Amino acid sequence: MLEILQNNWLLFLVGQYPHGPIGGLVMTLFMALISLALCFPFAIGLALARLSPYRWLRLPATAIVHTVRGLPLVMFIFWAYFVSPLIIGRAVGGVETLVIALVVYEAAYLSEIIRAGIEGLPKGQTEAATSLGLRYWPTTLKVVLPQALHNMLPSMVSQFVSTIKETSLGYVISAHELTFAAAQVNNVLLTQPFEVYGILALTYFALCFALTSLARLIERRISAGRGGTPGITIAA
Amino acid sequence: MIRFENVDKWFGPLQVLADVSGEVGRGEVKVLVGPSGSGKSTLIRTVTRLEKIQGGRVLIDGADIAGRGLDINRLRQRVGFVFQAYNLFPHLSALGNITLGLTKLRGLSKTAARERAMEELARVGLAEKANEMPGLLSGGQKQRVAIARSLAMDPEVMLFDEPTSALDPEMVGEVLAAMKRLAAGGMTMICVTHEIGFAREVADEIWFMEAGRVVERGRPAELADSDACPRLAGFLRRSVRN
Repeated sequence: MLEILQNNWLLFLVGQYPHGPIGGLVMTLFMALISLALCFPFAIGLALARLSPYRWLRLPATAIVHTVRGLPLVMFIFWAYFVSPLIIGRAVGGVETLVIALVVYEAAYLSEIIRAGIEGLPKGQTEAATSLGLRYWPTTLKVVLPQALHNMLPSMVSQFVSTIKETSLGYVISAHELTFAAAQVNNVLLTQPFEVYGILALTYFALCFALTSLARLIERRISAGRGGTPGITIAA
Repeated sequence: MIRFENVDKWFGPLQVLADVSGEVGRGEVKVLVGPSGSGKSTLIRTVTRLEKIQGGRVLIDGADIAGRGLDINRLRQRVGFVFQAYNLFPHLSALGNITLGLTKLRGLSKTAARERAMEELARVGLAEKANEMPGLLSGGQKQRVAIARSLAMDPEVMLFDEPTSALDPEMVGEVLAAMKRLAAGGMTMICVTHEIGFAREVADEIWFMEAGRVVERGRPAELADSDACPRLAGFLRRSVRN
């Protein structure tokens, strides 16, 4: 196993770069990060719409969230794979395709985290803002969201962990990420799939375990900062 | 200045305000007392539409607060509200809690807002806590910051919803002192409180509520007089015994 790692660590880390497209662990992390960053505004929009007093906003947002959460990610990957070239009008690479699918998928999940964060705030917070005379947007932007997002940081790190694991599905559309790199190594060696995929598993585990620990640490910090009230974590 | 006209409110099948009428004149201090669940808090919450009413009207300077064309947010700037649970914004410093409304609503520059906020903090004796986060303040300090936050908006009326009920006994005094100063300065106030001593000292009139109705009204001098206010006198005797 060590020998495989010694001979192929660069492939695991950055894929075929610099002789080919960048991939491997770096691409996995990049895709997870960029997906989460891109889906963030959508997630906030969906969460606010779901909490809206207006039915015409609430119902479609609820429908979208339930639909997305009721379907497997790989469906979105296939849809993105076949549909986005039709919409954009040119071939779309594996990485872009995967990011598109992840943004749609993660927006639904992240919106539920944000919604829980907003609903978890004491009612007095909006009442105090309202009583000052603040309207919806200043109240949301200055009072509600900063607190909700802060309280939800651990859950968002958990969501990031799920996203990292979900990027492995990019393998089915040949997106150059970590799992794809492992498959390439395996194709070269042919006889040691257990070891190769063992390395893959260990890499994912080390990364995700470290991040999960970080989430726990943040959670403790937050509850300490708020005078001991435990933060809310939603398992991803 | 504030007039309640036959106000009715239901929470589902439960009527929490029943035909409440009354008037609070400019510069007057009214104190609402009564057993819990009698509708005191609900009544003052109707003034800024934190609670909607199902019947009757609430008027401020003759304008119906539920009226069309009335800008409720503008009205809320004129009415300060102090909560039992303080409701400070925990992610902002004491100063930040006060400057938020000033910059967002009054259009003050950051420097001007800071100056104004420091003025109010100094008035409640907390100038040195300006940069402290609410989590590190005592209950009494939090409530004084909350009062300063309301006062910074230059309200014409202040509503207090059991401002001392969540406080440890030794902190009640500092909050009541701030309220007394305010009353002495001529602020129009409606206070829901169990602090009978405070009521006796500053109230122009005490309203005793029971089961959603104002059942007795009287001047503080009449408080102890069981002939003038038999139910209030009975309530006070019971609360003292407890």
